[in-house]
Amino acid sequence: MFTANIVDTSIFRSLGKPSTPRFKSLKNAVNKAGTELWVPAPIYRELTDYGTDPPVNPYLDDGVEDGWIRVAIPLAVDRDAAIDSITDPVTQAQHLADTFLNQQSKYPVTNNWRDASVVALAVRLFEQNARIRIITHTADDGLARACAQIPPEFGYYEIESRYYNPPQTAKHNFPTKESLTWSGK
Amino acid sequence: MSYETEHVRNAGDGVQSITGVPTFTELLTNPALAGLYTAIRRSPGVTAPDLVETVNVSKKTVYEYLRKLKQAGLITEITDATSPSPYEAEDFELRLTIRGVEVSITPELVAVVAHVDEYPIIGRVRDDHGLVTFALAHDLIKSHSEGEITVRQIATLSDLSHGTTYDLLEALYEIHDLGDADSNPTTYTPADVVDEDDDLLTELTDE
Repeated sequence: MFTANIVDTSIFRSLGKPSTPRFKSLKNAVNKAGTELWVPAPIYRELTDYGTDPPVNPYLDDGVEDGWIRVAIPLAVDRDAAIDSITDPVTQAQHLADTFLNQQSKYPVTNNWRDASVVALAVRLFEQNARIRIITHTADDGLARACAQIPPEFGYYEIESRYYNPPQTAKHNFPTKESLTWSGK
Repeated sequence: MSYETEHVRNAGDGVQSITGVPTFTELLTNPALAGLYTAIRRSPGVTAPDLVETVNVSKKTVYEYLRKLKQAGLITEITDATSPSPYEAEDFELRLTIRGVEVSITPELVAVVAHVDEYPIIGRVRDDHGLVTFALAHDLIKSHSEGEITVRQIATLSDLSHGTTYDLLEALYEIHDLGDADSNPTTYTPADVVDEDDDLLTELTDE
Protein backbone atom coordinates (compact mmCIF):
# COMPACT_ATOMS: atom_id res chain seq x y z
CA MET A 1 0.00 0.00 0.00
CA PHE A 2 1.47 3.36 -1.05
CA THR A 3 0.93 6.50 1.05
CA ALA A 4 0.61 9.87 -0.71
CA ASN A 5 0.66 13.19 1.19
CA ILE A 6 -1.39 16.15 -0.07
CA VAL A 7 -0.19 19.48 1.28
CA ASP A 8 -2.03 22.81 1.55
CA THR A 9 -0.49 26.23 0.88
CA SER A 10 -0.28 27.38 4.51
CA ILE A 11 1.98 24.46 5.39
CA PHE A 12 4.53 25.54 2.77
CA ARG A 13 4.25 29.18 3.83
CA SER A 14 4.90 28.10 7.40
CA LEU A 15 8.12 26.34 6.33
CA GLY A 16 9.41 29.42 4.54
CA LYS A 17 11.60 29.44 1.44
CA PRO A 18 13.56 26.35 0.29
CA SER A 19 16.79 27.94 1.52
CA THR A 20 15.68 27.28 5.13
CA PRO A 21 16.89 24.11 6.88
CA ARG A 22 13.25 23.08 7.27
CA PHE A 23 13.00 22.30 3.55
CA LYS A 24 16.06 20.08 3.82
CA SER A 25 14.39 18.31 6.76
CA LEU A 26 11.25 17.92 4.64
CA LYS A 27 13.15 16.32 1.77
CA ASN A 28 14.82 13.89 4.21
CA ALA A 29 11.49 13.10 5.85
CA VAL A 30 9.87 12.38 2.46
CA ASN A 31 12.72 9.97 1.63
CA LYS A 32 12.55 8.22 4.99
CA ALA A 33 8.76 7.88 4.82
CA GLY A 34 8.98 6.54 1.25
CA THR A 35 6.25 8.88 0.10
CA GLU A 36 5.55 11.73 -2.33
CA LEU A 37 4.06 15.15 -1.68
CA TRP A 38 1.19 16.18 -3.96
CA VAL A 39 -0.27 19.63 -4.53
CA PRO A 40 -3.32 20.54 -6.63
CA ALA A 41 -2.61 22.89 -9.55
CA PRO A 42 -4.52 25.83 -7.93
CA ILE A 43 -2.23 25.61 -4.91
CA TYR A 44 0.87 25.52 -7.11
CA ARG A 45 -0.40 28.72 -8.77
CA GLU A 46 -1.19 30.31 -5.40
CA LEU A 47 2.44 29.87 -4.32
CA THR A 48 3.87 31.05 -7.67
CA ASP A 49 5.58 34.42 -7.92
CA TYR A 50 4.22 36.02 -11.11
CA GLY A 51 6.37 39.12 -10.59
CA THR A 52 9.33 37.49 -12.36
CA ASP A 53 9.76 36.56 -16.02
CA PRO A 54 9.28 33.64 -16.29
CA PRO A 55 7.17 33.14 -13.13
CA VAL A 56 8.82 30.94 -10.49
CA ASN A 57 7.51 28.97 -7.57
CA PRO A 58 10.06 29.49 -4.80
CA TYR A 59 8.44 26.91 -2.52
CA LEU A 60 7.87 24.03 -4.90
CA ASP A 61 10.01 24.21 -8.05
CA ASP A 62 13.12 22.58 -6.55
CA GLY A 63 11.11 19.70 -5.09
CA VAL A 64 9.20 19.24 -8.35
CA GLU A 65 12.49 19.14 -10.28
CA ASP A 66 13.93 16.60 -7.80
CA GLY A 67 10.80 14.48 -8.14
CA TRP A 68 9.62 14.38 -4.52
CA ILE A 69 6.87 16.98 -5.01
CA ARG A 70 4.21 16.33 -7.66
CA VAL A 71 1.76 18.85 -9.04
CA ALA A 72 -1.56 17.37 -10.19
CA ILE A 73 -2.46 18.10 -13.79
CA PRO A 74 -5.27 20.66 -13.73
CA LEU A 75 -8.73 19.40 -14.60
CA ALA A 76 -11.30 21.30 -16.61
CA VAL A 77 -14.03 21.71 -14.00
CA ASP A 78 -17.24 23.62 -14.52
CA ARG A 79 -17.67 25.63 -11.33
CA ASP A 80 -21.15 26.76 -12.27
CA ALA A 81 -22.59 23.35 -13.04
CA ALA A 82 -25.50 22.24 -10.85
CA ILE A 83 -24.15 19.60 -8.50
CA ASP A 84 -26.94 17.10 -9.24
CA SER A 85 -25.99 17.23 -12.93
CA ILE A 86 -22.39 16.13 -12.22
CA THR A 87 -21.55 12.45 -12.37
CA ASP A 88 -17.73 12.59 -12.07
CA PRO A 89 -16.79 11.89 -8.40
CA VAL A 90 -13.75 14.23 -8.46
CA THR A 91 -15.80 17.21 -9.61
CA GLN A 92 -18.59 16.25 -7.25
CA ALA A 93 -16.13 16.15 -4.34
CA GLN A 94 -14.85 19.63 -5.21
CA HIS A 95 -18.38 21.06 -5.28
CA LEU A 96 -19.25 19.28 -2.04
CA ALA A 97 -16.15 20.63 -0.29
CA ASP A 98 -16.99 24.17 -1.46
CA THR A 99 -20.52 23.86 -0.04
CA PHE A 100 -19.27 22.16 3.15
CA LEU A 101 -16.78 24.98 3.87
CA ASN A 102 -19.41 27.67 3.41
CA GLN A 103 -21.70 25.71 5.72
CA GLN A 104 -18.94 25.57 8.38
CA SER A 105 -18.11 29.29 8.11
CA LYS A 106 -19.95 31.82 10.30
CA TYR A 107 -19.33 34.54 7.69
CA PRO A 108 -20.74 35.30 4.21
CA VAL A 109 -20.44 32.76 1.41
CA THR A 110 -17.09 32.79 -0.40
CA ASN A 111 -15.58 30.90 -3.31
CA ASN A 112 -13.67 28.03 -1.71
CA TRP A 113 -12.45 26.50 -4.94
CA ARG A 114 -8.79 26.36 -3.93
CA ASP A 115 -9.57 24.85 -0.52
CA ALA A 116 -11.87 22.37 -2.24
CA SER A 117 -9.12 21.35 -4.67
CA VAL A 118 -7.33 19.55 -1.78
CA VAL A 119 -10.35 17.33 -1.20
CA ALA A 120 -10.86 16.79 -4.94
CA LEU A 121 -7.24 15.71 -5.39
CA ALA A 122 -7.65 13.13 -2.62
CA VAL A 123 -10.68 11.63 -4.38
CA ARG A 124 -8.86 11.77 -7.70
CA LEU A 125 -5.84 9.83 -6.35
CA PHE A 126 -8.20 7.23 -4.87
CA GLU A 127 -9.99 6.93 -8.23
CA GLN A 128 -6.71 6.42 -10.08
CA ASN A 129 -4.95 4.08 -7.62
CA ALA A 130 -6.42 0.92 -6.15
CA ARG A 131 -3.78 0.51 -3.41
CA ILE A 132 -3.28 3.94 -1.94
CA ARG A 133 -3.64 5.69 1.42
CA ILE A 134 -3.75 9.45 1.66
CA ILE A 135 -2.65 11.88 4.36
CA THR A 136 -3.66 15.54 3.99
CA HIS A 137 -1.98 18.45 5.77
CA THR A 138 -3.63 21.80 6.41
CA ALA A 139 -3.80 24.62 8.98
CA ASP A 140 -7.58 25.06 8.58
CA ASP A 141 -9.91 23.09 10.84
CA GLY A 142 -12.86 23.16 8.42
CA LEU A 143 -10.76 21.95 5.51
CA ALA A 144 -9.16 19.25 7.67
CA ARG A 145 -12.63 17.97 8.58
CA ALA A 146 -13.74 18.13 4.93
CA CYS A 147 -10.72 16.01 3.95
CA ALA A 148 -11.76 13.28 6.41
CA GLN A 149 -15.48 13.55 5.77
CA ILE A 150 -15.98 13.88 2.01
CA PRO A 151 -13.90 11.03 0.47
CA PRO A 152 -15.93 8.43 2.46
CA GLU A 153 -19.02 9.72 0.61
CA PHE A 154 -17.42 8.14 -2.48
CA GLY A 155 -16.38 4.95 -0.69
CA TYR A 156 -12.83 5.97 0.25
CA TYR A 157 -11.95 5.59 3.92
CA GLU A 158 -8.14 5.25 3.82
CA ILE A 159 -7.48 8.87 4.68
CA GLU A 160 -5.91 10.69 7.63
CA SER A 161 -6.23 14.44 7.84
CA ARG A 162 -3.66 16.37 9.87
CA TYR A 163 -4.67 19.78 11.25
CA TYR A 164 -1.83 22.03 12.45
CA ASN A 165 -3.00 24.36 15.22
CA PRO A 166 -1.44 26.87 15.77
CA PRO A 167 -0.39 27.00 12.09
CA GLN A 168 3.22 27.83 12.93
CA THR A 169 3.61 24.42 14.61
CA ALA A 170 3.85 23.03 11.07
CA LYS A 171 7.37 24.49 10.92
CA HIS A 172 8.57 21.70 13.23
CA ASN A 173 5.86 19.06 13.12
CA PHE A 174 5.28 18.76 9.37
CA PRO A 175 8.81 18.02 8.06
CA THR A 176 9.10 14.75 9.98
CA LYS A 177 8.84 11.10 9.01
CA GLU A 178 6.02 10.66 11.57
CA SER A 179 3.77 13.31 10.06
CA LEU A 180 4.17 11.83 6.57
CA THR A 181 3.61 8.24 7.62
CA TRP A 182 0.25 6.47 8.00
CA SER A 183 -0.47 6.25 11.74
CA GLY A 184 -3.37 3.78 11.60
CA LYS A 185 -5.00 5.78 14.39
CA MET B 1 -29.07 58.24 37.02
CA SER B 2 -27.78 56.94 33.70
CA TYR B 3 -29.29 58.30 30.49
CA GLU B 4 -28.46 58.66 26.79
CA THR B 5 -28.30 61.57 24.38
CA GLU B 6 -27.61 61.71 20.69
CA HIS B 7 -23.85 61.61 21.24
CA VAL B 8 -23.41 60.17 24.72
CA ARG B 9 -24.41 56.83 26.15
CA ASN B 10 -24.40 56.19 29.90
CA ALA B 11 -24.28 59.88 30.82
CA GLY B 12 -25.26 61.08 34.27
CA ASP B 13 -23.44 58.75 36.63
CA GLY B 14 -20.27 60.66 37.41
CA VAL B 15 -19.55 62.04 33.94
CA GLN B 16 -15.88 61.45 33.17
CA SER B 17 -13.89 64.00 31.24
CA ILE B 18 -12.25 62.66 28.08
CA THR B 19 -9.27 64.75 27.03
CA GLY B 20 -6.10 64.03 25.09
CA VAL B 21 -8.03 62.49 22.19
CA PRO B 22 -4.92 62.44 19.93
CA THR B 23 -3.40 59.94 22.36
CA PHE B 24 -6.16 57.43 21.51
CA THR B 25 -5.26 57.54 17.83
CA GLU B 26 -1.53 57.63 18.58
CA LEU B 27 -1.96 54.23 20.26
CA LEU B 28 -2.58 52.85 16.78
CA THR B 29 0.54 54.29 15.23
CA ASN B 30 3.11 54.46 18.02
CA PRO B 31 4.26 50.95 19.04
CA ALA B 32 6.18 52.21 22.09
CA LEU B 33 3.12 54.04 23.46
CA ALA B 34 0.94 51.02 22.63
CA GLY B 35 3.46 48.76 24.37
CA LEU B 36 3.47 50.88 27.52
CA TYR B 37 -0.34 50.98 27.73
CA THR B 38 -0.51 47.22 27.10
CA ALA B 39 2.15 46.51 29.76
CA ILE B 40 0.13 48.44 32.35
CA ARG B 41 -3.12 46.74 31.28
CA ARG B 42 -1.55 43.31 31.63
CA SER B 43 0.10 44.06 35.00
CA PRO B 44 -2.18 46.29 37.09
CA GLY B 45 -0.20 47.91 39.89
CA VAL B 46 2.98 48.27 37.89
CA THR B 47 5.07 51.37 38.73
CA ALA B 48 7.08 53.77 36.59
CA PRO B 49 10.45 52.30 37.68
CA ASP B 50 9.12 48.81 36.84
CA LEU B 51 8.18 50.04 33.38
CA VAL B 52 11.57 51.69 32.82
CA GLU B 53 13.10 48.24 33.50
CA THR B 54 10.80 46.28 31.21
CA VAL B 55 9.87 48.41 28.19
CA ASN B 56 12.30 49.15 25.43
CA VAL B 57 12.31 52.98 25.56
CA SER B 58 14.28 55.56 27.53
CA LYS B 59 13.34 56.60 31.07
CA LYS B 60 12.47 60.07 29.81
CA THR B 61 10.09 58.63 27.20
CA VAL B 62 8.40 56.36 29.77
CA TYR B 63 7.57 59.35 31.99
CA GLU B 64 6.43 61.44 29.02
CA TYR B 65 4.14 58.65 27.79
CA LEU B 66 2.76 58.02 31.31
CA ARG B 67 1.80 61.68 31.48
CA LYS B 68 0.08 61.46 28.07
CA LEU B 69 -1.82 58.29 28.96
CA LYS B 70 -2.87 59.75 32.30
CA GLN B 71 -4.07 62.97 30.70
CA ALA B 72 -6.18 60.99 28.22
CA GLY B 73 -7.73 58.97 31.07
CA LEU B 74 -6.25 55.74 29.68
CA ILE B 75 -4.35 54.98 32.89
CA THR B 76 -4.90 56.04 36.48
CA GLU B 77 -2.72 56.05 39.56
CA ILE B 78 -3.91 53.63 42.22
CA THR B 79 -4.23 55.76 45.32
CA ASP B 80 -2.66 53.61 48.00
CA ALA B 81 -0.23 56.30 49.16
CA THR B 82 2.81 54.18 48.26
CA SER B 83 5.68 55.63 46.36
CA PRO B 84 6.32 55.21 43.50
CA SER B 85 2.67 55.19 42.46
CA PRO B 86 1.25 52.03 40.95
CA TYR B 87 -0.76 52.37 37.73
CA GLU B 88 -3.72 50.56 36.23
CA ALA B 89 -5.13 50.82 32.71
CA GLU B 90 -8.67 51.75 31.81
CA ASP B 91 -10.47 49.77 29.11
CA PHE B 92 -11.86 51.82 26.25
CA GLU B 93 -13.62 51.48 22.94
CA LEU B 94 -13.23 54.07 20.20
CA ARG B 95 -15.91 53.66 17.54
CA LEU B 96 -15.66 55.13 14.06
CA THR B 97 -18.41 54.82 11.48
CA ILE B 98 -17.59 55.79 7.92
CA ARG B 99 -19.90 55.15 4.96
CA GLY B 100 -21.93 52.77 7.09
CA VAL B 101 -18.96 50.65 8.16
CA GLU B 102 -18.30 50.72 11.89
CA VAL B 103 -14.91 49.87 13.34
CA SER B 104 -14.08 49.58 17.04
CA ILE B 105 -10.60 50.35 18.32
CA THR B 106 -10.00 48.44 21.54
CA PRO B 107 -7.06 47.56 23.83
CA GLU B 108 -6.86 44.23 22.03
CA LEU B 109 -5.94 45.96 18.75
CA VAL B 110 -3.53 48.26 20.60
CA ALA B 111 -1.78 45.17 21.98
CA VAL B 112 -1.18 44.04 18.39
CA VAL B 113 0.21 47.43 17.35
CA ALA B 114 2.69 47.17 20.23
CA HIS B 115 4.37 44.33 18.28
CA VAL B 116 4.73 46.16 14.97
CA ASP B 117 8.54 46.24 15.14
CA GLU B 118 8.69 42.51 15.78
CA TYR B 119 6.16 41.67 13.05
CA PRO B 120 6.38 44.23 10.20
CA ILE B 121 3.36 42.63 8.50
CA ILE B 122 1.16 44.38 11.11
CA GLY B 123 2.32 47.81 9.97
CA ARG B 124 2.01 46.86 6.31
CA VAL B 125 -1.61 45.77 6.66
CA ARG B 126 -2.54 48.75 8.88
CA ASP B 127 -0.85 51.33 6.63
CA ASP B 128 -1.30 49.88 3.13
CA HIS B 129 -4.82 48.50 3.55
CA GLY B 130 -6.24 50.73 6.27
CA LEU B 131 -7.74 50.46 9.71
CA VAL B 132 -10.98 48.70 8.73
CA THR B 133 -9.11 45.92 6.90
CA PHE B 134 -6.64 45.62 9.78
CA ALA B 135 -9.41 45.32 12.37
CA LEU B 136 -11.48 43.00 10.17
CA ALA B 137 -8.55 40.67 9.48
CA HIS B 138 -7.74 40.67 13.20
CA ASP B 139 -11.23 39.49 14.12
CA LEU B 140 -11.42 36.91 11.32
CA ILE B 141 -8.07 35.47 12.38
CA LYS B 142 -9.41 35.04 15.91
CA SER B 143 -12.33 33.16 14.36
CA HIS B 144 -9.82 31.01 12.48
CA SER B 145 -8.40 29.90 15.81
CA GLU B 146 -11.91 28.71 16.72
CA GLY B 147 -12.14 26.71 13.48
CA GLU B 148 -14.86 29.00 12.10
CA ILE B 149 -13.16 30.12 8.88
CA THR B 150 -10.27 29.14 6.57
CA VAL B 151 -7.23 31.23 5.68
CA ARG B 152 -8.51 31.64 2.13
CA GLN B 153 -11.93 32.77 3.36
CA ILE B 154 -10.17 35.43 5.49
CA ALA B 155 -8.19 36.55 2.43
CA THR B 156 -11.36 36.82 0.36
CA LEU B 157 -13.40 38.68 2.98
CA SER B 158 -10.61 41.13 3.88
CA ASP B 159 -9.36 41.50 0.28
CA LEU B 160 -5.78 40.59 1.24
CA SER B 161 -3.50 38.19 -0.65
CA HIS B 162 -3.10 34.69 0.76
CA GLY B 163 0.55 35.39 1.60
CA THR B 164 -0.22 38.59 3.50
CA THR B 165 -3.12 36.91 5.31
CA TYR B 166 -0.95 33.98 6.33
CA ASP B 167 1.88 36.20 7.61
CA LEU B 168 -0.58 38.29 9.67
CA LEU B 169 -2.22 35.13 10.95
CA GLU B 170 1.07 33.73 12.24
CA ALA B 171 1.86 37.03 13.96
CA LEU B 172 -1.54 37.24 15.68
CA TYR B 173 -1.45 33.60 16.80
CA GLU B 174 1.89 34.41 18.50
CA ILE B 175 0.77 37.73 20.02
CA HIS B 176 -2.58 36.52 21.36
CA ASP B 177 -1.29 33.00 22.12
CA LEU B 178 -4.08 31.49 20.02
CA GLY B 179 -4.57 27.82 19.21
CA ASP B 180 -4.09 24.56 21.06
CA ALA B 181 -1.63 24.22 23.89
CA ASP B 182 -0.68 20.81 22.47
CA SER B 183 1.60 21.54 19.53
CA ASN B 184 1.11 18.15 17.85
CA PRO B 185 -1.23 18.15 14.85
CA THR B 186 -4.72 16.75 15.32
CA THR B 187 -5.40 13.80 13.03
CA TYR B 188 -8.98 13.44 11.82
CA THR B 189 -10.05 10.13 10.33
CA PRO B 190 -13.41 9.21 8.78
CA ALA B 191 -14.24 7.43 12.05
CA ASP B 192 -13.88 10.76 13.91
CA VAL B 193 -16.04 12.90 11.66
CA VAL B 194 -18.42 10.72 9.66
CA ASP B 195 -21.82 10.17 11.24
CA GLU B 196 -23.22 6.97 9.73
CA ASP B 197 -26.77 8.29 10.00
CA ASP B 198 -25.95 11.34 7.89
CA ASP B 199 -25.79 11.32 4.12
CA LEU B 200 -23.58 14.34 3.48
CA LEU B 201 -23.78 13.93 -0.29
CA THR B 202 -27.56 14.13 -0.30
CA GLU B 203 -27.68 16.82 2.37
CA LEU B 204 -25.26 19.18 0.62
CA THR B 205 -26.64 18.41 -2.82
CA ASP B 206 -30.11 19.35 -1.62
CA GLU B 207 -28.82 22.69 -0.39
